Amino acid sequence: MTSGQEKVGRSAPPPHLKVTGISKRFGGVEALRGVDFEVARGEIMALVGDNGAGKSTLMKVLAGAHRADEGQFTIDGKPVTITSPHDAGDHGIQIVYQDLALCENLDVAANLSLGAEPVRPGWRFLPRFLRPLDDLAMEEKAKAAIDRLQVRTLKSVRAKVGGLSGGQRQAIAIARAAGADSTVILLDEPTAALGVAQTRQVLDLVKRMRDTGHAIVYISHNLKDIFEVADRICVLRHGANVATWDTRSTTADEIVVAMTRGLETGATNAA
Amino acid sequence: MQPENRMSMLDRFRMMRENRFGSFLPVLFALIAIWAYFGVTEPAFLSPRNFYNLFMQSAVVGTLAVGITIVLLLGDIDLAAAATAGASAALMAVLLVAGWPGPLACLAAMTFGATLGIAQGVMTAYVGIPSFVVTLAGLLGFQGLMLKILGVNGAINMRDPFVRGITTVTLSPTVSWILAIGSIAAFATLVLRRQALRRVRALELETQAALWGQILFFGGMIVAAVATLNLYKGVPLLVVLLILMTGALGWVTTSTPFGRSLFAVGGNPESARRVGMNVRHIRVAAFGIVGLIAAIGGIVGASRYASVSFNAFAGGPLLLEAIGAAVIGGTSLFGGRGSVWNAILGALVIGSLGNGLDLSGAAAADKLMFSGAILLLAVAIDAVSRAGGGSR
Repeated sequence: MTSGQEKVGRSAPPPHLKVTGISKRFGGVEALRGVDFEVARGEIMALVGDNGAGKSTLMKVLAGAHRADEGQFTIDGKPVTITSPHDAGDHGIQIVYQDLALCENLDVAANLSLGAEPVRPGWRFLPRFLRPLDDLAMEEKAKAAIDRLQVRTLKSVRAKVGGLSGGQRQAIAIARAAGADSTVILLDEPTAALGVAQTRQVLDLVKRMRDTGHAIVYISHNLKDIFEVADRICVLRHGANVATWDTRSTTADEIVVAMTRGLETGATNAA
Repeated sequence: MQPENRMSMLDRFRMMRENRFGSFLPVLFALIAIWAYFGVTEPAFLSPRNFYNLFMQSAVVGTLAVGITIVLLLGDIDLAAAATAGASAALMAVLLVAGWPGPLACLAAMTFGATLGIAQGVMTAYVGIPSFVVTLAGLLGFQGLMLKILGVNGAINMRDPFVRGITTVTLSPTVSWILAIGSIAAFATLVLRRQALRRVRALELETQAALWGQILFFGGMIVAAVATLNLYKGVPLLVVLLILMTGALGWVTTSTPFGRSLFAVGGNPESARRVGMNVRHIRVAAFGIVGLIAAIGGIVGASRYASVSFNAFAGGPLLLEAIGAAVIGGTSLFGGRGSVWNAILGALVIGSLGNGLDLSGAAAADKLMFSGAILLLAVAIDAVSRAGGGSR
């Protein structure tokens, strides 16, 4: 730690999700070239890089939305295969896309249970999709999720999402990801479209999720936000790792240099 | 909720609309305004006999509007609903002529309608043709199909007692009062039990005013309708059947995972897909339901007109009135918002308007222009009452 820099894995907390040697090609374009990445529980790992560095591709590979051409996944040291969003969900990996994917015409409780609506017991003679919804359980679940993440500005889980602020929507999308027995949450630019106060809400929310033991991957262009919340920062460039830093022992300038020029010229004592 | 200080009328109106039972307020106001107007200008309008006719006249449009609402929720449209109704009714008529028993012929017609709907759904969901185009082709094609089934005469008379009975049977006053009181009691029990469950689970409670308001409103409406109809022939069986059908569909759309997925796909298809909903299956199922309901509309029409004729189902009026009824009921053409109950109210608005103008001896030209104006007005009220509500 004397150098203030470390490669992935060394003297870091034991990883929960770890991928090694991830490669992904789109036609002739090599989007990811043997990338290593990891995140531990109770940690916020920032993922940064210039446009086209491969952040979003890596995120989608982790979420199962893209299938990696090469590479290994392990969760708590055990190898797993993740080739679809369904696989990722089964292993507790949830993603919050930048567009949030909320239904504005439905209320908060409905959005939080979307696709996994609880139904009342009994009614076995009906196929599941025609059994009565247990909307009271849905509201309870939503209230619990909102309370757990302490989204205080939200007055009612029966409010339509269309009437909420950007920060509240982001909070609901995050609460949805955090609710489904998930251990890893991938956040894609969660504060990109938000004002100052709302950004604050979301950053606080992200920190609270760290405190509840989630492993959080945080993509952002905003270094100020990253330095506030992240424990470690992983820099990608041209689809490959540059390095991973401990946030406390690096500076924004160093990260910017790494993002734009890599380590060859900027930092002489590269790991 | 919001503080009470200085809310404009419009804000109050918007807040009421956010309420679960508030979405039908504009169409209800429209209906009351029309009834009040014609009640004053045409004394015959508010007579029990005319109300009976009004319900019967609005039945076919109402049935089709309820069906069309299902695809409107997805953000799709079905222009072929009336033609599907016609083709299904034609098949039923031909089967009856061939000596099939009534119930079996009806069942065949409903299966046929559902099949036509599913075929359109497959073209929309799997081939990826916009529903407007698929159902426009269906509109033309199914009209042709109807002509083909009906044969050279283009009309078949309907004498089957079972089919005719759908629109000619009325319930005795005793039976209708038992049904009315039973349904009010059931409604009140459901509402109050729900409130009790909410209290036990420490969830937000409805206000007492809203709670009893709902029960009184529902009860008042039923008592008024039954009392009025009993002054003439009695409550038509058809009205009970339509309420049962709409109730079943209302329950499916608002209280089941399938219904929730209709709203989700209509609101944000990408979101629905990402949470694992099978958007294609949902779309096909929705079109299948519209086909089924359209066939029921066809049967009702055949029963009411005592014949299946090309002119009754083909062309524009029936289809456009049905779509108009759904839209007047506040169902969005862009998907994700609407209710089957509102479609019934919308059909009553259109029916009342036609009926009232007929009574006042208005010319066809005036009727058309009035209908256009009401449609526009209803959508304008809807747009104004929603403006600002959806902004960030």
